[in-house]
Amino acid sequence: MMAGSNLENVLRSGTFAVTGELGPPKSGDMEVVRKKARILKGHVDAVNITDCQTAIVRMSSLTAGLIALSEGVEPVMQMTCRDRNRIGMQADILGASALGIKNLLCLTGDHQKFGNHPQSKGVFDMDSIQLLQMVKGMRDDKKFQCGEDIKKAEPRLFLGCAANPFADPFEFRPVRLAKKVEAGADFVQTQIIYNIEKFRKFMEIVRDLGLHERCFILAGVTPPKSLGMARYMKKFVPGLDVTDEVIQRLSDAKDQKEEGIDICVDIINQVREIPGVSGVHVMAIEWEEAVPEIVKRAGLSDRPEPTGIEPVLTSTGAIEEAVDKARQEAKIELEGQLKKAKAEAQATRDLLAKEKEKVASEISGLKKQIEEAKNMVSRKEAEIRKLTEELKKAKESMDESQAVKPTVQAKEAAVGVSPLLSAREQQVLNSLNKGLAALKEVLGLDDAQFEAMRRFLEAEFMLQLGTAVVQAGPLETAKAESEVSRPVVETPTVEPAMEVSEDKRTERPKEVVNLVAKGNVALHNKDYPKAVEAFKKALEIASDDEKAKEGLEQAREALAKEKEAADKAVKVKEVEGLPPCPEELDPEEWKQKWIVRFTARGNVALMKGDYEAAKREFQKALELDPDYEKAKDGLRRAENQEDIFVPDVELGQEAVAAPKAEKAPESQKPEPAAEVKPEEETPPEEEAVPAEEEKEEVAEKPAAPQPKPKVEISAPAGEGVKDLSVASLAKDEPPLEERAKGIPEDVYKEPCTGVIQSVSIGDGDKAITVGGETALPFHTFEGDIPNMPRTAYEVLDAPPEEWPECLVRYYSDVINDSAAWAKKCVSEFGAEAICLSLDSTDPNGPNVSSADAAQIAKKVIEAVDVPIILWGCGNAEKDTETLREITSLIENRNVCIGPLTDANYRTLGATAMAFQYPVVASTPIDVNLAKQLNILLENLGVHLDHILMDPSIGAVGYGLEYTYSVMERIRLAALTQQDEKLSPPIVCNLGREVWKAKETRLPTDAELGDQERRGVLMEAITASTLLLAGGELAIMRHPKAINLTKVLIDGML
Amino acid sequence: MIIAERKPMKELLEMVSDVKRLLIVGCRGCVAVCSAGGDKEVSILAAALRLGMKKAGKQIEIDEDTLVRQCDPEYIDPLNDRASDYDAVLSMACGVGVNFIADRCPDVNVMPALNTTFYGANLSSGEWKEMCAGCGACVLHLTGGLCPVARCAKSLSNGPCGGSQGGRCEINPDVDCIWQQIYDKLSSLNRKEELRQIMPIRDWTTAGHGGPRRRIREDLLP
Amino acid sequence: MSKIKGFCCNYTLSVDIEALIKEGLVPEDLEIERLPCTGRLEVPQLLDAFSDGAEAVFVVGCQLDKCHNLSGSYRASKRVKYAKRILEELDIDPDRVEMFFAGRGETEPVVEAARIMASRSKG
Repeated sequence: MMAGSNLENVLRSGTFAVTGELGPPKSGDMEVVRKKARILKGHVDAVNITDCQTAIVRMSSLTAGLIALSEGVEPVMQMTCRDRNRIGMQADILGASALGIKNLLCLTGDHQKFGNHPQSKGVFDMDSIQLLQMVKGMRDDKKFQCGEDIKKAEPRLFLGCAANPFADPFEFRPVRLAKKVEAGADFVQTQIIYNIEKFRKFMEIVRDLGLHERCFILAGVTPPKSLGMARYMKKFVPGLDVTDEVIQRLSDAKDQKEEGIDICVDIINQVREIPGVSGVHVMAIEWEEAVPEIVKRAGLSDRPEPTGIEPVLTSTGAIEEAVDKARQEAKIELEGQLKKAKAEAQATRDLLAKEKEKVASEISGLKKQIEEAKNMVSRKEAEIRKLTEELKKAKESMDESQAVKPTVQAKEAAVGVSPLLSAREQQVLNSLNKGLAALKEVLGLDDAQFEAMRRFLEAEFMLQLGTAVVQAGPLETAKAESEVSRPVVETPTVEPAMEVSEDKRTERPKEVVNLVAKGNVALHNKDYPKAVEAFKKALEIASDDEKAKEGLEQAREALAKEKEAADKAVKVKEVEGLPPCPEELDPEEWKQKWIVRFTARGNVALMKGDYEAAKREFQKALELDPDYEKAKDGLRRAENQEDIFVPDVELGQEAVAAPKAEKAPESQKPEPAAEVKPEEETPPEEEAVPAEEEKEEVAEKPAAPQPKPKVEISAPAGEGVKDLSVASLAKDEPPLEERAKGIPEDVYKEPCTGVIQSVSIGDGDKAITVGGETALPFHTFEGDIPNMPRTAYEVLDAPPEEWPECLVRYYSDVINDSAAWAKKCVSEFGAEAICLSLDSTDPNGPNVSSADAAQIAKKVIEAVDVPIILWGCGNAEKDTETLREITSLIENRNVCIGPLTDANYRTLGATAMAFQYPVVASTPIDVNLAKQLNILLENLGVHLDHILMDPSIGAVGYGLEYTYSVMERIRLAALTQQDEKLSPPIVCNLGREVWKAKETRLPTDAELGDQERRGVLMEAITASTLLLAGGELAIMRHPKAINLTKVLIDGML
Repeated sequence: MIIAERKPMKELLEMVSDVKRLLIVGCRGCVAVCSAGGDKEVSILAAALRLGMKKAGKQIEIDEDTLVRQCDPEYIDPLNDRASDYDAVLSMACGVGVNFIADRCPDVNVMPALNTTFYGANLSSGEWKEMCAGCGACVLHLTGGLCPVARCAKSLSNGPCGGSQGGRCEINPDVDCIWQQIYDKLSSLNRKEELRQIMPIRDWTTAGHGGPRRRIREDLLP
Repeated sequence: MSKIKGFCCNYTLSVDIEALIKEGLVPEDLEIERLPCTGRLEVPQLLDAFSDGAEAVFVVGCQLDKCHNLSGSYRASKRVKYAKRILEELDIDPDRVEMFFAGRGETEPVVEAARIMASRSKG
């Protein structure tokens, strides 16, 4: 016993328990609680008192619980973690225990958001499981949560918890219940059940975990009061599964309330059948009146007499009320008894009258004796009257005095009665009996006649006594007394009553009477050995006591029978080594129960990691049923020392899939290679890096393809690129047509309808032509690409100030002489074209005069024979001036001039047109602006085949994506939409963009690697990207980057 | 990072109703990243306050500044020198910044422009979510890296309550049930057995219930 | 002081505002500020326009899918939305600021926007 509460007693006795629910009022009105308690009283074993359910402020559960207790209803106090911290909770627990509360239901509590104070601060110092742990510690270890001892009177509480089989994740729900049981729950009440199937599955797992053996499970039910309520619950109450069937039944019903009760009863009947369910918890929310009806219809109205309900605190008012009530009850019962006896006497009298007449003459002598007895009875009557008078007086005085006192007085009065009665009165009765026995013999009466006569006489006797002496019935005064002393209904004690009546009928020694009575009680309780013992003892004292003899015989007979039955039972079951099968079960059922039980125990042991014990249990189960899969499985696990989590249970399909999936990795364990480990993910990445390098710079550092930042730190800057040569791309790949064999051509080919203008720069055989294609860049399979993209070396008109050393060093010998520089590019690096940037003419910079710049340009043009692009500083006015100056100096060299913008296209356009120079039309990065400038130039008379578009580009990391997108759109417009105005080739002046980026200027370090390599790659990547987007001519700076780009172009075409 | 949001304009207007010269000080730390108190927000607030005060018929001069951080002394101490130029300083930092200015700048009349809300992460542009409660006793190793203290409405320690339905929390269908996620995460890591362990009652002293918290690293002390 | 202020993307309005006023197509107290792209517009500019005396403020950007800078007018519309929120907090009718869209070089939508905002400024 944990607490000795009525609920605990009922559950432990194996009776199917019924609990109810009482919601305290949203006021201080005690009557509401009293009223609800009275409705439920006698129909349920205990009543849950909710703790501000749904977070709405109500009378506290402790207080309402005490009020219910004073009504004789056992409360189950609910306690949530929402409103109090561990200090407040422990304080309330001590108080509750002190005042007689014996059941505590531990809950986390609904979130305050749902209640009428959603702004409040939720405490949640702990959760329900931790609360259970704490109270268990207080009860069993006598310790506060902090570890301090509870020196006196630790709280004795029967601990409960809630479980919701319908919340998610379903598989975790039984596990969570297991945690609660582990933490200290003695019983559990479930969420409202409508979906029986799901609950059944839940219980199956619960049984497999052995939880039904470790705690009592009460299934929660609620009668839906109306269709609306059912719909509301289905829709809005989280974790409540109202089935469509229930909704349907209600909507079809004529009387929804009736149907609601029926639904509830049906559910109770079904959950009762589920093994492991020890009771039901009927929650009739604000519909307490339905509970008695539900309990009745479910056949559960025969509740065991409550025990252990003892309110500690009661007001004097309550005591008076209780005393009054008890007195009234006693009075009514007494009157009833008298009436009954009178009626019976009358009936017997009539019967006897006939008999009397028949035998009148022969019984005159006996009559005399009867007469005598009657006289004696009347004398007794007088005495009794006197005593009754006294009793009355005592009762009156009791009204005035305290409650305890009259009890004592009444007791004394009662005690006073019996000695007066017993002696002579018994004698009379005895002689009467003897006389009657003689009469029976003389008259040859049959048993019925005799019995009738005997009863008449006894009735008459009682009638005259005025107090009840009913055979084997309780002494009424004694009963009244017990009720007066305590406002608690107690089981009427059978033993003393029998004792008294026996005592009155015979003169047997009291001891014998006691023993015989004891024997009879034992007989009644089927405790035959005890009965035999009692009767034997009685016979030792009075060897000829008939009753004792009779009893002994009966007891022995019964004992023999029982033994026989037991022997039989043992014969059936001994083989299986099970405890004897209870009578109400057939052995096969019993066996099944034990198979499940052993398996459950096995699982419990398995869970605890006690594999030996688990093995034993599973073996036991298998002895009973060698084919029981669960036990087999368990045994296997125990032998392999595997742990279990959720045993395989046939759930819904999804649920079945889950455990299977779980198993899979286990079975794979021995082959770790099959799993992809994170370490294994890295090598492919590392491989990817050299692969890229191979593509673009195979020749470079072939021995050490992987970047080693450490080495490069120590290496002097500038050692990054030693070799400018680049190996060409592998070209041995079969053509696309071959690779795409079997795939219809139109799937991968999307031929274009437009054509890009061909633009030629330069003179003679060194002249280059770009453009002219009818396909997207490098889409050789879709159209004609007559001219490959080209690269040009950028040469400055003055020594560069901001070029990093790693770039300058290739030109350091010629840096002061643009012509020599250009020459070096052509002769040493094999430049296809030169772009002379006239940066120094910038009015915001050195502002070199146009004339001086023109001289430099002239020298450059004369120094090399490759095509030349003259690129101004970007200042429209100055560029016009400079470029015009240059064109006047050079004669018939076909140079390309730029940039032409919307500000100077008229003047420069005219110049270009005059000399038939190709021009660079430069616009801010935008398709429409580019097109617009082309149109303007065309309007001016510049043909599209003399225009190179410069859409303004950005280096990688500096808007490359935007550039790409714009160029792509230009190219698509020209090729797929035949937008002629966008058909000139595109020139990308990218070297300057790349080499002004911060990343190309930062020195070599561990993080960014070698500076030169970095710059080269940035330039090469920018170039290759732009060529893929549609660029035809790339103006670049670093020879290595140019070589890489060239190799790419070569490899792709 | 620390997530914050601007207080309602009405509250702010009332706060500065008697101020003639105001300095709005933003912070380029967390609140800039969560678009609550960086340079942009400072200029928006300044414009809004000017308009609001003008509408109320009041004069106000508002200057704007944004500090690197407001939780390090070197950035806020210069405010001391500027204190005399302003009637009030409206800090657009989190509560830390406001407090720190109040602590270190005796003459500055500092006011908060933001409500500091939580420690969170940026889900997508314009959306932030609470991830940590700063409870001082991390249990994330037991819960698959997902925090039940910060992300469960009841800060449960031992699994989902009965209100978990379809992965959602009972308090709001927009809120995920973090315990469902913990369960899923640990299941996928093959660790769900660990959830059978009862997590003991927590010690909340580290969560600030033991008084204001302080952290000291001896080796770094001056 | 102008009573209505408009911010226009450079790509929309193609006619001189003076001419429009002269023609009587738009209210006289209209002031237009041209922007390279409305995406550059920030909330404080909208609010400052009110502080500077404007009764209504509007923004005309490119059609959402035709913005020269891809998302410029989209950004502008979001900022207008935020400005509306702040106006609401300040008890100013949020309809006093509005976002309009116009095609490339179109003048009519700007005229229309100015008219709409003029009617709102009186309300």
